[in-house]
Amino acid sequence: MPSNKLYQWIINLVMLAFSAFCIFPFLVLISASFTDDMEITRNGYSFIPKDISFAAYGYLLNDAANIARAYGITILITLIGTVAGLILIALLAYPLSRKEMPFRNVLAFYVFFTMLFNGGLVPTYLVYTNMFDVKNTIWALIIPGLLLNGFYVILMRTFFSTSIPGAIIESAYIDGAKELRIFTSIVLPLSTPVLATIGLFLTIGYWNDWFNGLIYVTDKQYYSLQNLLNRILLDVQFLQNSQDGISSELAANIPLKSMRMAMAAIGAIPIIAAYPFFQKYFIKGITVGAVKG
Amino acid sequence: MKRITRWGKTLFVLGMGMSLVLAGCSTSNQNEAKSTNTSTSTDTKTKTPELEPYEMVVVMPGTGDPKDFKEIEAEINKITKEKINTTVKFVPINFGAWAQQTTLMLSGNEKVDVIISGLGTYSQQVAKGQLLPIDDYIDEYALGARKVLDDMDPLFMDAAKINGKTYGIPSVHDLAADAGFTIRKDLVDKYNIDLSAIKTLDDLDAVFKIIKENEPDMIPTTKYGNTMFDAFLLGSIDNLGDGFGVLLNDDNGLKVVNWFETPEYEQLLNTVRRWYLAGYIDKDIATSTDTAQNIVKSGKAASWLQHMKPGTEQQESRNSAKEMVSVHMKPAIATTSKIQTWLWSVPNNAKNPERSMMFINLLFTDKDIVNLYDWGIEGKHYVKTSTDNVIDYPAGVDAANTGYPPGLGFMFGNQFLSYVWKGDDPELWTTMGNFNKEAIKSKALGFTFNAESVKTEIAAVTNVANQFKIALETGTIDPAKNLPEFNKQLKAAGIEKIIAEKQKQLDEWAKQ
Repeated sequence: MPSNKLYQWIINLVMLAFSAFCIFPFLVLISASFTDDMEITRNGYSFIPKDISFAAYGYLLNDAANIARAYGITILITLIGTVAGLILIALLAYPLSRKEMPFRNVLAFYVFFTMLFNGGLVPTYLVYTNMFDVKNTIWALIIPGLLLNGFYVILMRTFFSTSIPGAIIESAYIDGAKELRIFTSIVLPLSTPVLATIGLFLTIGYWNDWFNGLIYVTDKQYYSLQNLLNRILLDVQFLQNSQDGISSELAANIPLKSMRMAMAAIGAIPIIAAYPFFQKYFIKGITVGAVKG
Repeated sequence: MKRITRWGKTLFVLGMGMSLVLAGCSTSNQNEAKSTNTSTSTDTKTKTPELEPYEMVVVMPGTGDPKDFKEIEAEINKITKEKINTTVKFVPINFGAWAQQTTLMLSGNEKVDVIISGLGTYSQQVAKGQLLPIDDYIDEYALGARKVLDDMDPLFMDAAKINGKTYGIPSVHDLAADAGFTIRKDLVDKYNIDLSAIKTLDDLDAVFKIIKENEPDMIPTTKYGNTMFDAFLLGSIDNLGDGFGVLLNDDNGLKVVNWFETPEYEQLLNTVRRWYLAGYIDKDIATSTDTAQNIVKSGKAASWLQHMKPGTEQQESRNSAKEMVSVHMKPAIATTSKIQTWLWSVPNNAKNPERSMMFINLLFTDKDIVNLYDWGIEGKHYVKTSTDNVIDYPAGVDAANTGYPPGLGFMFGNQFLSYVWKGDDPELWTTMGNFNKEAIKSKALGFTFNAESVKTEIAAVTNVANQFKIALETGTIDPAKNLPEFNKQLKAAGIEKIIAEKQKQLDEWAKQ
């Protein structure tokens, strides 16, 4: 059918244009990271750099030990955080999805409540630093705010209660399986889509997190990649806005713009590379409410 | 070892937390705090001539921390160990994270013995009770520091006072600012520009015109800081903290005025607008995030307006990698906010304020400590040159590969004790001292506005200012149309209430 073909073409073109909008900024970013800083100041950003320069990467290489360490920290917290987070979320979400669970609604409300209200920054900080002493430890980057998120718990609970038929659990029970066995051998294998989805959310959350680092970390050895990048950005911003004449002295000699781009490229590439492997689970993964085929 | 203590501490804190919950936490918490306080004060009362060893945490802003900072810390520690039997742990915090982290650290009762205050939050920290009033301690432990400042003008110490009490000692650097125009020297020579003829901003048009006509790839002027003349004004009006309600420098009557409604402001806007329309300013200036020095370094712009101090030419030449010359157009003025930018304070919960003050005193009197911090280790980060008091990079070291890039000397105590970098005037600090001494002292020097009662208005007015100020002050939008609108919205947001409150506080302050 010709109209159908035309329709396909239009769809493809729209999608192509849309992809271009997504990809072009990233190309500019990469190209800028290879451009001479002074050229960016003079002529602005462009797709094809006139003066190719590796100064930004050279500058970062100067500080290679710190960046490698920051990379390591980021990978470490992403791994620990994602695995631990998934386990905790699943362990909380599954019981909430079972109708036999006593106080189920009270507990579910308790989880839901955390999505609406929180204690505010200072009390949260006091709890984590004074009660749990996470300041300047690796746990500061893993636990606060990221490890257990009410929204993910509700997502997963919804998946369990809509996608796992009660009959399967019942039949497993009749066959003699206990709760733990049912959970590990039946429920979890059937739930890979939601595990992958929330796993990806967690991974991205941990990979991109800078806020915990900003608040709970003053020791350089626990800087994660995004925290390091964010600190550089904030410093530059501060120096630019300050009128006290200090800006220049500190900002001079650093290829500021191309370096920012280089750091962003370094920070983003691994997570972009990981994305396609998760993407196929996405289609089935997210069901908050209603029915999804 | 460290791990064990940390776990032990966690368990202890958890256990204590539980018992506190059972016992009703607020009261027992206070008792606990009190008991530690009394034990420290008895310690000092029975003070033997030998000082007890003490470990101190010093929190200050910085950018990252440079590679060799640990070594420098160790060297500084050798001196403090010998002089006041104290080991110092520096905690540098990025400028960008500064406000957030220090607020949390001070609220969280963390161990901080000495902290840099200022950066616009001094009065807030005092209002929150986070800083210790140190007048008594200064008399006992930091007379050296006081003398350095008093020798220039006792008003400088007074400027750090809030409600009659001192909460911090201002770092000794440029405590005043004048204002003027800085331009590339090669262009001045090439076109025979007569800098001595520049007296007012209107005289600049001729200069810009020459550059515009002869250097097609160059924009005659650019902004320094946020807007075309924000930094320039630092050297001519007292913005009384937040800039909403200011004192014009020739005003002897302590009359707070709405700066945005003055004819002077309108005239400045018209001048800048004229430059913008004539193409003397880049079209993108309102959104540009480049520093003026970088733009000049890239060859894209020729000049800027800025606030100044002795040595401005050398400093800016170094930073923009082009030789620059400056015209000083306004007399220097010292204002409270300029002096309250960098102060050395002791947090209210410091465990041993006596020792904190001894350390602060060293920052203002010990040449070795100051130079270690400002320039690094001799032979490694700098070497002395044949000229007395002037230093340079050692062979093989330059700005790109040094393990300790200099640059924060203005913050660290008494800058006048530090060496001078090659290229600067060897007499720089003497000149700077005189500059501070001779600067016009704002009539409101020592007045700190307490914004507590008009907090809402300030937030609203700040929003309006963010919306208009940069666009207006870069000439991007037409002042004839937008300035009245700006003022209308400022009024609606309550600027008059802020000014009235400021005037009231200022009058009360003046009576004392």
